[in-house]
Amino acid sequence: MDFIIEGIFRSWQLIFSLDREIFSIVLLSLRVSLTATILASFLGIPLGFLIAVREYWGKRLTIAIVNTLLALPTVVVGLLIYSLISRRGPLGVLGLLFTPWAMIIGQFVLALPIIIALTYSAVQGIDKKVRNTALTLGATDYQAALTVIREARYAVLAAVVTGFGRVIAEVGAAMILGGNIKDSTRVMTTAIALETSKGEFGFALALGLILLLVAFSVNILLHYFQGKKV
Amino acid sequence: MSEKIVEIKSILKSYNKKVVLDIDYLSFQEGKIYALVGPNGSGKTTLLNILNLLIRPDQGKIFYFNQEVSWARKEQRIELRRQMTLVEQSPYLFNTTVWNNLAFGLQARKLPYSMQKERINRILNLVGLSNFQYRKVNQLSGGEMKRVALARALVLEPRLLLLDEPTASLDQRYIDILERVIKRVNQENKTTVLITTHDLSRAYRLAQEVVSLLEGKVIREIPENIFRGEMIKNRKGNCLKITEEVSFVIGTEKEGISYIYIDPRDIILSLQSFQSSARNSFLGKIVKIVEQNHLVKLEVDIGVLMVVMITKESFQDLRLNLGRSVYLTFKASAVKLY
Repeated sequence: MDFIIEGIFRSWQLIFSLDREIFSIVLLSLRVSLTATILASFLGIPLGFLIAVREYWGKRLTIAIVNTLLALPTVVVGLLIYSLISRRGPLGVLGLLFTPWAMIIGQFVLALPIIIALTYSAVQGIDKKVRNTALTLGATDYQAALTVIREARYAVLAAVVTGFGRVIAEVGAAMILGGNIKDSTRVMTTAIALETSKGEFGFALALGLILLLVAFSVNILLHYFQGKKV
Repeated sequence: MSEKIVEIKSILKSYNKKVVLDIDYLSFQEGKIYALVGPNGSGKTTLLNILNLLIRPDQGKIFYFNQEVSWARKEQRIELRRQMTLVEQSPYLFNTTVWNNLAFGLQARKLPYSMQKERINRILNLVGLSNFQYRKVNQLSGGEMKRVALARALVLEPRLLLLDEPTASLDQRYIDILERVIKRVNQENKTTVLITTHDLSRAYRLAQEVVSLLEGKVIREIPENIFRGEMIKNRKGNCLKITEEVSFVIGTEKEGISYIYIDPRDIILSLQSFQSSARNSFLGKIVKIVEQNHLVKLEVDIGVLMVVMITKESFQDLRLNLGRSVYLTFKASAVKLY
């Protein structure tokens, strides 16, 4: 029992003394996950929008695939990307493995289907009504499309935040692709896994509390955006 | 004689192989108010969408100002659409301020800001929302939202104004404002107004011409046996109470005041009461007999006047005459919501 109480005590100490190691890990985590989420948004939002507004052959199949990818296990993503970027893999020459960029690629793949699927459902729900309203008021097709995106803005932002929430908390891909190297690719989740097994309970708990705080902030943000929807 | 603003010829539109609109010919004169009446699913909304060039008919031709536009290029369709506007039954308001909603169409037309401002203020005043410019639409009540949607259409000063059920689910005060506004823009701007409604008395009061649709077709006369009543539940099931004495058993569930009609051909006329699966049976007296081709149209007083159509042969077989007591029997499913 003692080690728990001691751990809690130590974790508070670490957080409030602004421990350098803890905060460099937190910053790297945020940097990797934010970069991955932003990149995934640039691709995922337009794709989700197009899937929603375009009628094409195989549309239902695309949606089914995207929805399946929502449940993609993080270790499987780690494994697949690993096979591509490890030295023997086709992209091995780039030397990406065990760098922050390897983790960004992994988290990008994880966030993408979430952002596509949530953007799709946000746009699909309002597309027809908003489009027709814009058109009857004299908008061009292009203006009408922009209006649809603008009307879906809060739901799309919620999609982005949800994507971020998923990747900041994942451990599988970051561990396999980053390798949990100190001062280089050690992020919150991988550090927690390592330090716990090392018995550094206070250190792990401090990171755990910060991760919880991030998750909590993400949810507050999500709540705010969802409240903005009409 | 004013010009025809829009004409449609041999329009056919179906969804999932079901024909929802099948109109030989229909035209609207500029500067008039038209009411489009018909039961749910009669194709009123589809017609408005086709007129607004939002959906294309499967077949047929549309003419605006005597010019065919059925296959017009995109730019021409936008140009035409900018001379009219449609207010949907449950209109969508952009999730922003009232002002931005009203400015949307004006910005699409690239009107200078000073003109936008002048028009928006004038129209908001007209619909009684003068102080609402900077309100967010999600803080408005249902009635206020409908008024904003109407204002958003009026601010465009369209030549053709298409209104889909603007009075549905609204209180009387708003309906009065709406009617006044419609009449006013019609007189001042010579706006042609096409309004769909359930309410026949309103249609006749407001419109110079009434067009009646039934199952996608234009019918020359308004269907017989239209009744207004209150939906109630009693020991017979769902009923529409027409008067204290007369209420019809009805197949559908709905609440409040409704209009229904019963096709005169769906009513069985008999001299004696008989047991059947039909849920409605009334005793009444024949008060009027009119021959129409091979059919005979009878008016029977069962507490309310009902019109029944029977063949000449049946008429002769039953030896009917004025004042004769007869039973009228019809199924609950023959009572259709208007």
